[in-house]
Amino acid sequence: MIDRSPEYRLKKAVGVTMMLVLLLFAAVPTLWALLLSVRTPDTIFEPIWESPLAVTLDNFFKITRSDFPSALMNSFITAGLSTFFSMLVGVPAGFALAKSRVSGKFIASWVLLLLRMAPPVGFVIPLFLAYVNAGLIDTYTGLVFAYMTLTLPLIVWSMWNSFSQVPDELIEAAIMDGASLGKAFLLVALPAARPGAVAAAILGFLVAWNDFFYALIITRSSTTTAPVAVMNFISYDSVDWASIAVASIALTLPILPLMAIANRYIVQSLSGAVKG
Amino acid sequence: MIKRLLATALAATITCGVPALTMAADEEVNVVLFGMPYTNGLQKLAGDFEAKTGIKANIDVIGQDVFENRITLSFTGATGDIDVVHTPVIQVQRWVAANWLKPITAEVDAMPVKADIMAGPLDAYVINGEQWAVPYMAATGLMTYRKDILEEAGVEVPDTWEDMLAVAAKIHNDETAAIAMRAVPGQGFNMFIFPMVMRAYGGKFFEDYTGGDLTPAINSPETLEALNVYMKLLNDYGPQGAGNFNFAEVNAAAQNGQIAFALEGTGIVAQIVDPAKSKFADKTGIALPPAGPAGRSPAIAVHGLGIPASAKNPALSAQFIEWAVSTETMTKIALSEAFSNFTTGPVAQNPEVIEKYAKVHPDFLTMQADALNLAVGHYRPLLPDWPAMGQAIGENINAALNGLVSPEEALEGAEQDMKDILGL
Amino acid sequence: MSLNSKKRAGATFELERGYRRMIVPAIIAVAIFAIVPLAGMLALSFSDYHLIRGSNGEFGFRNFIKLVNDKRLMNSVYVMAALSLFGVAAQVIIGTTVAVGLQKIVGKWRLGRVLFLIPYAVPHVAVALIWLSLFTPTLSPINAFFDLFGITVPSFLTSQYGAIFAIVVADTWTNFPFAMLIILAALQGISPDLDEAAALDGASRINTFIYITLPLLMPALLMVTLFRFIDSLKHFPMIFVMTKGGPGRSTQATNFYAYVQTFQNSNVAYGAAIAVLLFIVAAIISFYVARLNQRVSS
Repeated sequence: MIDRSPEYRLKKAVGVTMMLVLLLFAAVPTLWALLLSVRTPDTIFEPIWESPLAVTLDNFFKITRSDFPSALMNSFITAGLSTFFSMLVGVPAGFALAKSRVSGKFIASWVLLLLRMAPPVGFVIPLFLAYVNAGLIDTYTGLVFAYMTLTLPLIVWSMWNSFSQVPDELIEAAIMDGASLGKAFLLVALPAARPGAVAAAILGFLVAWNDFFYALIITRSSTTTAPVAVMNFISYDSVDWASIAVASIALTLPILPLMAIANRYIVQSLSGAVKG
Repeated sequence: MIKRLLATALAATITCGVPALTMAADEEVNVVLFGMPYTNGLQKLAGDFEAKTGIKANIDVIGQDVFENRITLSFTGATGDIDVVHTPVIQVQRWVAANWLKPITAEVDAMPVKADIMAGPLDAYVINGEQWAVPYMAATGLMTYRKDILEEAGVEVPDTWEDMLAVAAKIHNDETAAIAMRAVPGQGFNMFIFPMVMRAYGGKFFEDYTGGDLTPAINSPETLEALNVYMKLLNDYGPQGAGNFNFAEVNAAAQNGQIAFALEGTGIVAQIVDPAKSKFADKTGIALPPAGPAGRSPAIAVHGLGIPASAKNPALSAQFIEWAVSTETMTKIALSEAFSNFTTGPVAQNPEVIEKYAKVHPDFLTMQADALNLAVGHYRPLLPDWPAMGQAIGENINAALNGLVSPEEALEGAEQDMKDILGL
Repeated sequence: MSLNSKKRAGATFELERGYRRMIVPAIIAVAIFAIVPLAGMLALSFSDYHLIRGSNGEFGFRNFIKLVNDKRLMNSVYVMAALSLFGVAAQVIIGTTVAVGLQKIVGKWRLGRVLFLIPYAVPHVAVALIWLSLFTPTLSPINAFFDLFGITVPSFLTSQYGAIFAIVVADTWTNFPFAMLIILAALQGISPDLDEAAALDGASRINTFIYITLPLLMPALLMVTLFRFIDSLKHFPMIFVMTKGGPGRSTQATNFYAYVQTFQNSNVAYGAAIAVLLFIVAAIISFYVARLNQRVSS
């Protein structure tokens, strides 16, 4: 049934226009950052049509000589490790919460949400003092622990949802067949919840990758993360917009392929999660 | 299985944490500074210091916002991981009151370079008879103006704020606005610029600061008049969005020819008149900030190097500071960076330095010295609570500028906030 | 029979013990990483600790009594509410529109979806900086573009509502893709047969959407709204970078106000008291969200 009536075409045109407007909204800031990143210092805020040829790649070379690349590396290491350890602890916990009959599940879900919501400003000072005493300031360990407070609740929560959709019968059958709980989890439940696990890992990574406040407080020169390093381009009497643009691009690019590959998984896992 | 995984996890985290925790070794100084031309230049010279003394200098240059948050916590925790710290004069009272700095009178007295350091900035770091830091720069405020625009309109460079209002009305148009100044709330943002207007009209922060009467007195007819001038200039003759401008926006507007006048710190002024950075540099002149009924009061901001109370090896720290403010080091930085507001005297006599800044603008160095001579040391009050008060006053001024409250209400609010902060 | 059931009960007991063992590490991690600083925050909020003046060792409700009369706190609550409500509404509406559009118009074009996902990948600090330059009239290419046609784009960051609008726009830009992803997921769970059946019955596409698709999307919409709302209470980098709380104090949300008291005014104890208040609000909201989630999933 193919509709070709003028009315349908009009509606389609309206729909397409709306999508294009929204795409413009989504794309303009990104394009603006790309443009800033290649402009020469004296033309950076001139409209592009006034000096279309004033472009340079110097900004990219300049940033490789700054502290930014090592900060980017720090971001990778800490966001990656905290996601890894949160998955290690959080996936089994999510599985157990979904399948066991322990009491206090409601409280668990409440606490998980609360942790996601709690404002970090309040406990930054006690956290800082605890870190000073434990010698965790400016260490990967300290930052990974801090990020786990962000990633762990998120991962437990989403894995709980994902495992809820794995039929109980599947696990019961495996256990009836003599598998241990660990085996049933690893060989039966986990493969069934794979899209959810990928999605949880990526969302967890993003949360840690995005953090500004913790890194601001508990890192020093050797473990500064990229979002904080971006702020270092704002100095006492100048703002290095070109470097900020390059840095923003450098911070976004690594996430992009991850997003492109994983968005299928995210959609798959979430579609289950919100249907349930 | 879970137990084994957990054990591996813990072991892995602990091992990867170890290398990052580097404590200050015997022959290392850890220096934390925030980004400005001098500090960027100093960072590049770290090798010189090591070659000379055999001490490794880890110079960390970070953004100002990042610096302020980190340093507060580092001091609170007495972490001892910082040997030399960037000490703005505007913070030093607060830091001394909180016992965060180490007095260094004896160390500074032992430095031969002491005699070469300008007396005013050096004295700014004397509290209760002790020296707490050594200055490396003293920035002040200057006005830039577009010669071509004034010529075309047939007007003189305004000498008073009254003149400025008249000139602004004449030259303001949609293409180029008359004037831009910092407006974003903050003790280092609008409260670095606004007091230049306020003091010119005779406004003051306290009843009698020098006499020791610290009753807030910002809600006065003088300050109100000044605030009205400041607001009229920015609202009627400023560029679009002037109410949220910070130094970066003022700088960009001037460099792109969007404004005729800018009142800024010397660090920014140097960029506005630099032909390498702005296409309008050759058409831009510089002058002292306008005067008012109570005279002329250019801004002043002094920055220096201090030693945290928790520093492990103050002798090394002092050695680093002595090198950092030496004529040799300062001259190198003055030549490699846009760093004209050095406080070590002999640098100004270096022919290469003179030549370099004459090329940027022939009047720059002399104009800067004139402004510094006129500036009062307590341009912004030197009190432990000033950073908090400056923030609160700045918020009120900004609210009035953007029409959220009336100027009268803003000053009333500012005075009340000052009282609250002082616990009166 | 009884032996068998005992055996099964034994097995269940074994199983439950296994489950518990899987949960314990997470509980320990949460306890160490979260409870300790939270307890510290609570202790600070009752103290008189000041970064400069130190502490006289007094403990009591002083800070909380002060909170009751604090006009700036009330202002910050309004700001927080405005930022959260408008931001979340915009994100959900735009996210849903894009998701529906992607499914009905763009179809299987995978790249289209990725294009809309880009803003979600930009870290908030960078988002705030990019939008700050876009909202500064003298720097912004948008203003320069409209100037060509003699149109003056207003300056947003200099008025109270404008600044709130600017922060909402930046926040929406980076977060609508999250809403889009979830709605897209929910849409894929809805059978296309329903649409076709409705079309065969002569229902218009808009009616189909309103009466058939939307009700089926409700759980997903609710979920997105709540999750975005939860995150939006933590507003920080956007305010910190774009307005510094200005103009005046009109974008100081509660979280930012707690920061101002703690770091700028050195009043750590009072900052902690504001944070405790926020925490209580968060606890109440998350309690209801958890209840809602429990009901939705059962």
